[in-house]
Amino acid sequence: MLQLIRKDVMLQKNTLLIMLPLLVVYIALNASATILSGVLFTIAITMQAFMLDEKRQIHILFNSLPYTRKEIVTSKYIGVFCFTGLVLLTILIANLVIHGESPTWKELLFILCLTTLFFSFSLPFSYRFKSQYLLFASIGTFAAYLVVINVFIPNLHDLIREVVAFLLAMEQVQLYVLVGCALVIVYILSWLLSIRIYEKKMF
Amino acid sequence: MMENVIELKQVHKSFPNFQVKDLSFSVKKGFVTGFIGGNGVGKSTTIKMLMNLLQPDAGTISIFGMNYNKHEKEIKQRIGFVYDENVFYEQSTMLDMRSIMKSAYAKWDDELFHYYVKEFELPIKQKIKSFSKGMMMKASLALALSHHAELIIMDEPTSGLDPIFRRELLDILHSFMQDGEKTIFFSTHITTDLDRIADYITFIHNGELMFSKEYYQIEEEYAIIKGATELLDRDTEKEFIAIRRSNHGFEALTSNKAQASHLFGDSVLLEKPSLEDIMYYTKKGAEGGAAINT
Repeated sequence: MLQLIRKDVMLQKNTLLIMLPLLVVYIALNASATILSGVLFTIAITMQAFMLDEKRQIHILFNSLPYTRKEIVTSKYIGVFCFTGLVLLTILIANLVIHGESPTWKELLFILCLTTLFFSFSLPFSYRFKSQYLLFASIGTFAAYLVVINVFIPNLHDLIREVVAFLLAMEQVQLYVLVGCALVIVYILSWLLSIRIYEKKMF
Repeated sequence: MMENVIELKQVHKSFPNFQVKDLSFSVKKGFVTGFIGGNGVGKSTTIKMLMNLLQPDAGTISIFGMNYNKHEKEIKQRIGFVYDENVFYEQSTMLDMRSIMKSAYAKWDDELFHYYVKEFELPIKQKIKSFSKGMMMKASLALALSHHAELIIMDEPTSGLDPIFRRELLDILHSFMQDGEKTIFFSTHITTDLDRIADYITFIHNGELMFSKEYYQIEEEYAIIKGATELLDRDTEKEFIAIRRSNHGFEALTSNKAQASHLFGDSVLLEKPSLEDIMYYTKKGAEGGAAINT
């Protein structure tokens, strides 16, 4: 299974060589949006790796090699953390070098939580349908979001900013543990669901 | 007692408009088994079930005496596979694919890989998607043969290849079989390939097994009978799998050469049928009665 993760990183070599420097440039230009950039770059890189393996022929290849379907799915779930880790490391180093200060550990943790949450939903979705529909789903979600902003909660942006600021200001360890546990559970359920979906697939 | 490498028992698999029914056959160790049948009769479905890309609805499949539920990885470590489409990454080279395959197989042998690459004259740094159909097949073979697989499963390896390359391929497979420990199972609808290499023939039609026999046995049992139409009546027609009538007489396939010979004596001509004849008549016979009028 480690081989599968290594393969993903190897195949993303070129993407990483483009995306990570881009992230550094982004950080140099705009230091304030660490969380947003971290999340977006992680999603972009990880989804790219996922989409590369989404072709029917590639499924046939890996299912014909001595890997179980469980391992194939699990490697993707672990791979998420590898790519997140790479992005976080880049953010940390770039901020230290360029701005002379590191982002708070809370910010980094926040990125990790958000990407975990994102992939908890998007991976089973992509296994069940195809990641290309994820775009439609995102557009739908975004439309709903705009409607919410315009019609129901005009100050949603401020609210989100406040919530984020509130969470980052929190000192209660218990709450962090609670959120962390909840996320771990969601991620594990998502992993089990993806395995179920993938084991029933026909190629 | 000869060892079976592959054993299917009463395998069923249903799709909305097609099904594989009660399929049972075995593949003997140390031999080449040709898997024949027309287009869309279940060959690829069967091969996918052998590779665990599809799971049967009922019945059992055992490979090397093991089943996929418990021993998926052990089984696949010992299989080399070749499909009739490019299953490699579009942007990859032979070198990239080598590292992917190498990390998957415990018995990967770089020396053997380079031997095949050299033998097949494959450019290892060129993108695989730019390969011709023949080169692609050689690339698939080189990747399939480099981990000392005991069983090679191939889905239509010769389709779309020119006759010269088809022969080369058969030579490669022939030399691969030399030590008597290896087994090849491959599907094809180009039956002439099998004359040169197959020891056993497994024939399916409409998702059902027609027969699985030794090649020489087919030659002993089956015959094409040619004779005058007057010889045909309700009783004699029963001897045939299917009959083709024309103005000049009839031509029919029997699976009991000895009896047909006894019945008709010298009044008919007995000819050795090709696998194509057998496929053609079996299909006609299965489609509706024994009679074909042309």
